Amino acid sequence: MRILCFLKAILDPEAPPGAIRFPGKVESGDVSTVLGPFEGNALELSVQVAEASSGAFVAVAMGDAAQDVTLRKALALGAERAVRVDAPLGFQDPLAVARRLRAAAEAAGGADLYVFGRQAGDWDMGVTAGLFAGLLDLPFVPLVQHAEVSGQSLRLRREIAGGYEESLRQTPLVVSVTNGPGTLMRLPKVKDVMLANRKPIDVLQPVATEPTLELQEIAQAQVTRQGRMITGDTAQQAAGLAAELRRFLVTGGGN
Amino acid sequence: MRIAVLARLLDAGEAQVLEALGLMASLGGEAQSLFLGAAAQSSLSAVGEARLGVHPGLDDPEPELAYAAALRLLGDEAPRLLLMPEGPLFEMIGARLGGHYGMGVVRDVDEVQVEGDGIVLRKGAYGGKANVRLRARGGVVAALRAGAFAAADPPAQTPSVVELGNLAEGGQERRTVRDTSGDDLGRAKVIVSGGRGLGSREGYEGLRPFAAMLGASLGASRAAVDEGWASPSQQVGITGRKVAPELYLAIGISGASQHLSGMSGSRLVIAVNRDEHAPIFEAADIGVVADWYQLWPQLQKALEG
Ligand SMILES: Cc1cc2nc3c(=O)[nH]c(=O)nc-3n(C[C@H](O)[C@H](O)[C@H](O)COP(=O)(O)OP(=O)(O)OC[C@H]3O[C@@H](n4cnc5c(N)ncnc54)[C@H](O)[C@@H]3O)c2cc1C
Ligand SMILES: Nc1ncnc2c1ncn2[C@@H]1O[C@H](COP(=O)(O)O)[C@@H](O)[C@H]1O
Repeated sequence: MRILCFLKAILDPEAPPGAIRFPGKVESGDVSTVLGPFEGNALELSVQVAEASSGAFVAVAMGDAAQDVTLRKALALGAERAVRVDAPLGFQDPLAVARRLRAAAEAAGGADLYVFGRQAGDWDMGVTAGLFAGLLDLPFVPLVQHAEVSGQSLRLRREIAGGYEESLRQTPLVVSVTNGPGTLMRLPKVKDVMLANRKPIDVLQPVATEPTLELQEIAQAQVTRQGRMITGDTAQQAAGLAAELRRFLVTGGGN
Repeated sequence: MRIAVLARLLDAGEAQVLEALGLMASLGGEAQSLFLGAAAQSSLSAVGEARLGVHPGLDDPEPELAYAAALRLLGDEAPRLLLMPEGPLFEMIGARLGGHYGMGVVRDVDEVQVEGDGIVLRKGAYGGKANVRLRARGGVVAALRAGAFAAADPPAQTPSVVELGNLAEGGQERRTVRDTSGDDLGRAKVIVSGGRGLGSREGYEGLRPFAAMLGASLGASRAAVDEGWASPSQQVGITGRKVAPELYLAIGISGASQHLSGMSGSRLVIAVNRDEHAPIFEAADIGVVADWYQLWPQLQKALEG
């Protein structure tokens, strides 16, 4: 199968609180840009399907040169080619992103399987895969956890409320990938990382498109609570915590 | 401005549908209530013109059938604002409808305002570290965060029933597996969640006797799910379950904002982590800086004693 895998690098989602600030804009200090975790899941699924079908995958990312970290990772894991659609980062309307990714997909000659991550951890939109499927009028399977190749079809496991659903799907197809038993990203070999650093990245110019959504405002959200600590040695901590839990159980959480 | 609510009865739950109807009623404009269901119903709570698209496959739809059903019910021209409860139906078709009709799509919306010729929607970003307002110039599909809007109490109406006719299913050999491990998280009064800090599957499993003492359900961080210790349906967070128990215990969880987004509605939060700088302590009411494996034997004794 021919696979197109769409990847995005984001500011490290596990940066400590306060490292990324939002005083009316995004201030990221020295937080590094990394491949997002769901994009890692998408990459893993692309590698697996390419291997099992004796096919190949091409990695596509839209953004500035900071995106190259993700494309290099894809190359190290066996991507046939890496394409970057050159557009500035910052908030991007997912519909406009999907239109530009569609143009990149057409330029790459299309695919049997289009693989997206579930959600990019910067704007937490979680909609680009579905938009892309709607634009191309292709079937869409969201939240895929596991894929098995069966000829030109795929047996897909997708997350549903309280469990999963499996079915056999024909290609062409668009999927979004979530974390689950089958999509934990493998680590590339050191040798392949070194080789990938020397491979070229094809740069495409984005097609013109009018965004529908604009970022009007961004502000810091507050999640902190005024907590207190149970201190002392371990025995004292255990006694203190047991007392809190007993109090909770007795009052049924009422007060 | 034409506004519609699109919901599958049985999908998100009645409360969430009433919240969407409440928002639609408060925005004014030309309102439409569009429902998908497996069988005709004589009356439904609805605002504005009410239509019910009927097909037996909508009892437990897969994505292709749900999408085809929605397209038939919506017709050629989408409303300017399409409101959907956040949930499985939106996940399957919401964004795809946006692509089809050329509409913007925003999920996790907790505020909607009509301002001049624009629609302004508020949502979280950066794992809940930020809130953003997005302005839509054209049409927009909005998935509404559960609990964020006041529910309407509209009179019951008789919807006009639209028989949706033949709709193709997208997959073959379909099989659904309900994995009961995370089933009760939504209703649980007490949740004990374990993270990567537990170190091993046995360590995670070791939470069971503790949970049993408290009558708690077991949740997990994404890292614990990735390690294979817990199932995806036990994941708590922005891309897992949103929970709001009376008591939430986080054991060996660092407190990444994406995890906090799923449990911030909990009434009392207790965190155990061996790192005093772990961000979870900023989001907890009671914190214990301790190694769980040293704390637990003594805690067990203290609780049994
Ligand atoms: C778009 C996106 C969506 C995401 N969605 C979710 C989500 O829904 N849910 C979610 O949980 N995450 C989610 N994440 C991932 C999130 O960013 C974190 O990676 C994850 O929550 C970390 O899990 P953890 O706290 O278990 O692991 P770690 O961050 O590795 O933390 C382990 C903690 O255990 C402590 N510890 C270690 N040993 C012990 C011990 N013996 N006793 C006590 N404490 C100990 C450590 O001090 C540390 O704080 C998402 C990320 C992105 C980008
Ligand atoms: N700029 C981009 N370049 C390549 N892929 C992207 C881009 N933005 C989003 N995607 C893909 O769409 C998925 C969902 O992103 P989002 O809808 O922004 O949460 C990501 O996991 C990527 O697979």
